[in-house]
Amino acid sequence: MSRYPNRWKYVNALRLVVLTLAFVPLVFLPYSTIYQHFLAAHAYDMLNASDQRLYDVMNFLTGNFITDAKQFDVVKGTTWSATFWGFKLSDPLAVLSQTAAHTHLHGPLLLSVLLPVLATVILGRFFCGWLCPANLLYELADWIAERLRRAGVPLGDRRFDRRLKYGVLAVGVIASAWGGTVAMSAIYPPAIVGREAYYLIATAGAGAGTAFFAVTLLFDLLVARRGFCRVLCPGGALYSLLGRYRLLRVQRKVDLCNDCKKCDQTCMFDLNPMADGFGQECNNCGACIAVCPTGSLVFEWARKDGPPQGPGHLGSVYKKNKGTPHA
Amino acid sequence: MLRRRFLQALAAAGAAGAPYGFARLLAPAAQGADTPFITHLRPPGAITNDAAFTEACTGCALCGEVCPVGAIKFYGREGGSKVNTPYINPRDRACTLCEECMKICPTDALTHVPREKVTMGYAQIDRSACYPWVDKGVCGACATICPLGEKAIGFAFANVYRPVIRDGCVGCGLCVQICPHPSLPIRVVDRSLGRQANPEV
Repeated sequence: MSRYPNRWKYVNALRLVVLTLAFVPLVFLPYSTIYQHFLAAHAYDMLNASDQRLYDVMNFLTGNFITDAKQFDVVKGTTWSATFWGFKLSDPLAVLSQTAAHTHLHGPLLLSVLLPVLATVILGRFFCGWLCPANLLYELADWIAERLRRAGVPLGDRRFDRRLKYGVLAVGVIASAWGGTVAMSAIYPPAIVGREAYYLIATAGAGAGTAFFAVTLLFDLLVARRGFCRVLCPGGALYSLLGRYRLLRVQRKVDLCNDCKKCDQTCMFDLNPMADGFGQECNNCGACIAVCPTGSLVFEWARKDGPPQGPGHLGSVYKKNKGTPHA
Repeated sequence: MLRRRFLQALAAAGAAGAPYGFARLLAPAAQGADTPFITHLRPPGAITNDAAFTEACTGCALCGEVCPVGAIKFYGREGGSKVNTPYINPRDRACTLCEECMKICPTDALTHVPREKVTMGYAQIDRSACYPWVDKGVCGACATICPLGEKAIGFAFANVYRPVIRDGCVGCGLCVQICPHPSLPIRVVDRSLGRQANPEV
């Protein structure tokens, strides 16, 4: 047992589990759609061998709960727009983009976005870290890239201005209004991943979105580490703006901090938790909290970030200066 | 000499071509051959103005997921600004007017209307190709499959197998899917044509 136990040691593992659980339906639902067609048509005897295998697997998974094909209709959709037992949820970016394109406020669509917006106002940009299906793939790619870097492969790690994504958001909204089409769905990775998974599995094949997503993965790998989420994502920009005055924040307890900088290293958004640099970009993912060896980073209910608190009280800079807070 | 040979050849060609020309003049015109039939219908309940529909559709693909027959497909890059918006090709798999897509659409791109009020298009029958219309064949597949029944499609008075489109047709395209004729004499055309789609001959 450490002298300074970290009670939130497993928060990052928990987040990855939640991310994976949010990703599973995107793969499962398209298969259930195919199975639903087979089931409704009582078509087992007419299927070819591979379709019969799909039918058998799905029947094994759902046969005990679902007998009527209609029952599959209760949960449909992706993180872009989904329905649960008639209750509809949409991505705020979908609503913003659609409203710009249509220049008309549609009541039911606004209702469907109420809960996500409310959750973002309270919990901040949590969607990116805890639910976004593209983020899971980006983190996987980053995990591989990290191993490649350690093996000596020279991969790019350029830094760009993070405010660029607000420009992407503005340009996307203007393009939607000007072009009269929901342009955001073509450049927003979670929408692309959900849609393309459906296209790949349940319809003829992948669309242009797959190529675009591959390009963003290469951008992350070769140009800037986690570059798309940090610098370009229009949805991240919108969530950042909505979560600017969030109530739940990661905060640093200066008397427990030992200035080890692990939090700065691990932050997927290149923020500086060790220097109290959170701001509106923080997505409350908890990776810094989990990695902290002394438990000095905690979730707190607070309207604003605290001021910079200087070197941590367990660190060498603080001790050398005989306890004066600012070196 | 050369000129005479040339004029002779011209006259011969004209004489040889004349029967074909007369035959073309006298032959019954393929009805609706100049009206383009639609292979990319919007799903039922879609906003009639296609630009407005593209604006309203977020490309979430929910309509395709709930479609019980898998009729709804999505434009790829070839669609330009229509990319990721839904379409139905009745020659491939047609809409059954089950209303599920209209119920699930999160925007007003697909508005829920009863199946009789849907305005996808208008069916048109080419009487120069349809089996019963051409040679008293026995078919009636289109009238049997129609989800709206007597209101949308019926039979001509003189022959119980010759189909005629009635005013209740909404253009779902099920008849196009079921038609056994290889050249598909029944097709869905633009809704704005109205009764012009099937002038009584």
